[in-house]
Amino acid sequence: METAAIKNPGPVQARRTMSDTWYSILLIAPAMIIILFFALVPLFYAIDVSFRQADLTMGGIQGFVGLRNYRTVLHEPYFWQSVGTTVVFTFFAIVIEMGLGIFVAFLIHGATVGKGLIRSLVILPLATAPSVTGLFWRYLYDTQFGLYNYFLSVLGLPWQPNWLGDIKLGLWSVIIFDVWLWMPFVALIVLAGLQSLPKEPFEAAELDGASNFRVLRTLTFPMLTPVLMLVFVLRTIDCLRLYDSVATLTRGGPGSVTETVTYFLYRQGLVFFRMDYASTMALLFMYAVILASGYALRPLLARLAMRAGQR
Amino acid sequence: MLQQRSSTPIEILRYALIVVILTASLFPIAWLIITSFKPADDIMVSPPRFIFTPTLDNYTYALHKANFMHFIQNTLYVAVVSTVFVIVLSSLASYSFARYNPGGGNILFFILTTKMFPAIAVVLPYFLIFKEIGDTAVGKALGIGLDRPGALIVSYTMFNLPFAIWLMVSFFQDIPRELEDSARLDGYNRLQVLWRVVLPLAAPGIAVTAIFCLLFSWNEFLFAYILTRDAARTITVGVESFFTLRGILWGPVAAAATISVAPMLVFVLILQRYMVRGLTFGAVRG
Amino acid sequence: MRRKMLSIIAMLILFSVLAACTTPTQAPAPTQAPAAVQPTQPPAAGGCKDSDRVPISWSTIAGFYTDAMTSIIKDFESKNCVKVTIVGIDNAQLYDKQIIEAVGKTGAYDVYNIETAEKAGFAENGYILPMDDYIKANADKVQYDDIAPILADVTTKYKGKTWGLPYYTYTQGQFYRADLFEDATEMAAFKTKFGYDLKPPTTWDQMKDVAQFFTRKKGEMLKGKPLDKDFYGIGLMAGRFQEIQDELSGMILSKGTDWLKDDGTIAVKDDGNLWALKFYVEKLLPYAPPAALTVTYDGVMNQMQDCQIAMTANFFLDQWPNAANTEKKCPGAKMAIGVGIEKTTYIGAFLMGVSSSSKHPKEAMDFVAYMGGKEAQTKFASLGGSTTRISVLKDPQFNTPESRTKTAQFAFLLQVFDNMKTKKSNLFYSPYGAKLYNAMGPIYHTAAAKEKTPEQALQTLYDEFVKICGGPKCAVNK
Repeated sequence: METAAIKNPGPVQARRTMSDTWYSILLIAPAMIIILFFALVPLFYAIDVSFRQADLTMGGIQGFVGLRNYRTVLHEPYFWQSVGTTVVFTFFAIVIEMGLGIFVAFLIHGATVGKGLIRSLVILPLATAPSVTGLFWRYLYDTQFGLYNYFLSVLGLPWQPNWLGDIKLGLWSVIIFDVWLWMPFVALIVLAGLQSLPKEPFEAAELDGASNFRVLRTLTFPMLTPVLMLVFVLRTIDCLRLYDSVATLTRGGPGSVTETVTYFLYRQGLVFFRMDYASTMALLFMYAVILASGYALRPLLARLAMRAGQR
Repeated sequence: MLQQRSSTPIEILRYALIVVILTASLFPIAWLIITSFKPADDIMVSPPRFIFTPTLDNYTYALHKANFMHFIQNTLYVAVVSTVFVIVLSSLASYSFARYNPGGGNILFFILTTKMFPAIAVVLPYFLIFKEIGDTAVGKALGIGLDRPGALIVSYTMFNLPFAIWLMVSFFQDIPRELEDSARLDGYNRLQVLWRVVLPLAAPGIAVTAIFCLLFSWNEFLFAYILTRDAARTITVGVESFFTLRGILWGPVAAAATISVAPMLVFVLILQRYMVRGLTFGAVRG
Repeated sequence: MRRKMLSIIAMLILFSVLAACTTPTQAPAPTQAPAAVQPTQPPAAGGCKDSDRVPISWSTIAGFYTDAMTSIIKDFESKNCVKVTIVGIDNAQLYDKQIIEAVGKTGAYDVYNIETAEKAGFAENGYILPMDDYIKANADKVQYDDIAPILADVTTKYKGKTWGLPYYTYTQGQFYRADLFEDATEMAAFKTKFGYDLKPPTTWDQMKDVAQFFTRKKGEMLKGKPLDKDFYGIGLMAGRFQEIQDELSGMILSKGTDWLKDDGTIAVKDDGNLWALKFYVEKLLPYAPPAALTVTYDGVMNQMQDCQIAMTANFFLDQWPNAANTEKKCPGAKMAIGVGIEKTTYIGAFLMGVSSSSKHPKEAMDFVAYMGGKEAQTKFASLGGSTTRISVLKDPQFNTPESRTKTAQFAFLLQVFDNMKTKKSNLFYSPYGAKLYNAMGPIYHTAAAKEKTPEQALQTLYDEFVKICGGPKCAVNK
């Protein structure tokens, strides 16, 4: 399996006249086979189940019920509440992560000494398992045992927030945790993008005596756009699918203010074993994200096609 | 490229900010590591206790109680193999998308949509798929099936592929096409161009992608927990052995987490060196 | 550049090869079954080769049990040609993991660890096998009548059949700081304020008074000494976990009501249920630490050990060793046990049930019978486990001053079983029990977190019950 995958696609070498089309298809074929199989099988399974009665602990997967599950889900107030929570969370988490991540990337990029070490340290939050760090942050947020409130009291502040117990704060506590966890991801990818920018345009600009700000505005950011867009898209999808942080940090609480779509889905699917509702929600979720991202990604895909087509 | 003009005060400010950010970002981990050296009765105390007699008991407990080395081996195996697969498959695919864009963007978009289907809804179908595959001769031969590492390798490869392909496409597109053209003129065939010119130039992107794929597989929980039981269990699930009915054993949990961060830190330290800046064109040719 | 690139790949391959070589489970031989990994091999039973041993796998909650159980299992293995693997799973995930394997009929777990509310569902769906015939045939070994009768009924009976044996009970009583109740200054102050003597509460109103009385700010006096941190009258498990329901359980049952009536009619909105939730949220929660909204039982035990609270509400008695640790960690503390407010608490235990997909049901039943039997339960008790058997609970060796910090709860468990002998919730006999139980925690919690009023929360809960059971009645099969 391993060797087969690493081996060069042999036929290409043999036929040097192979067309670009065939060559390009051959290159994507191995990845596509895996993706097609392991994405489409669960997808068709979900589509099928979404039209059936399927309570795994009560009769299993049964007959077709038409659009009943879609009606039930769309009339479920908790589902809509979870959609709202997810959107609010995603908006704030993305804004902060992107802003902070880009800022940190530029900070590190300009550093002269110890860059390697800084890069390695920055990524550490991501190197720890979220299933442990989430729980650990519950401990850090604790009103009595936690470090945060201890620091606040040492600083003499009267404010002793109940991070995970106050329904006004709960979502923000998750956002802070998520920013802590994922800001390094944004920073590192933007940093890699910065580092693979060609040098010449910048040298030319320097010779012209352009100001730092102008270089940023007219050169750096435009050239970084694809990477920024990409990080934005990947992070948005991940935020919309937010599960780990919620599952370990708050379990949807306090109240139900941090119950995101995927956590709600988890409860339907793996606690109540209503695979019919869970599949329906998952599909609705996917359609919505595809619709939204279809618009958001259009410029990125167009740009990509344009650059690929330069020949 | 900008730092040549930076003056000393700016440099000081820069490093001050870096220190602030690193402190904020690392202190939870530092506290986790400190906790791993605390005696049980010094952990849940208020106010938090900073002075205590350090102990290695938690490490001894973690290493002896929970088949810990076994879980680490499983995790290492699954994470590394799936990362190798992802990197190989996605470099080929994303090079193709970057240069030839097969499907005019539609295939690429389709690949991303597979990431939009919530993992929770996928996990039960996967359970059923791997149950079936596991009973066949192929599944047995390749170690794919429930409670076998192959199931996790395949799953993680699948999850990381869309991410890796998308991430690498933009890195591949940044490589000037003229370099490839001139290499072709020099008599390289297509694969030689890919292997000798394109891949080395894309190294920063590949390194970043590899780091993230490795981290994601290393830390994945949901699939590891549904698809394995005992033999193929990974460390994230294994740590749960310390969530007991007498409460979470924070000492051993922290020790286990510290031990499992170490290999990742080594990987990151090695791989990040390839994210070098300043690809000087021309120097790579030949 | 190229060298570096190659070296990355070479390194990755090297690592994968290394990992492959060192990973025992990656043996490519198609015949090798996924090996059970257990660090120590037990000594072979008379004439039993390790290769002949029948493999049995038991999914259960990790930690203390598995530590205690390992040595008990060795005893079992020395008498039976069986190899037992314990698969430790986090309590929060145990139910879904077991259900997935059961639905998939994988037979991966021969013996399940089943919570009281889950039993009826496991039985109704045919995930576990009834053990009546086995128990009848092995009456001497099993001694079923020795299990506390109410506990045996609640945890093993469904539709007139017996579905396994309980081996660990988390039946509730109450823990409190006896030193506070015996302090002369506090006694005098309480008498002045409330007009009756300070004593461990036996009614809900007294509990509220005591909780209110002991709630003090940092700097105020407790037992004549200034407090170095805030102190609270009561510790509650009001976080978004299932256990908030267990805490309300005794309150609801003490008002003579239940979640489901005998005929299955959903009663979660009735007066008794509403009183319980309102009293909990309005009269008890204000005197609990703010962290109450984020914790479950382990958090309450941490608060107790850290001198933050004066008492628990109705609380799992199996946690006694944790509660007793307060005397070590909190200077001056003296811990004591009660039988629960109004002598009405939650009763429950983990049931060991044999999977219907098990390839070795006979050996699995032998294992269940052994673990639930007197010999193993006695050993389990000596290691600090909360046993389910009357004879072990009464065993004098567990009622000595030396055993106090481990097993002082035994005498109280006997009383609780006696107090509760006629009170059993219908919830435990509904095949929807697990779902209803899982639905309750988060919804009760919304009232505790003040996101909803108690009335709104109970309406939501009612709707949820109707959705789960498909109507205003949930099946109840005693």
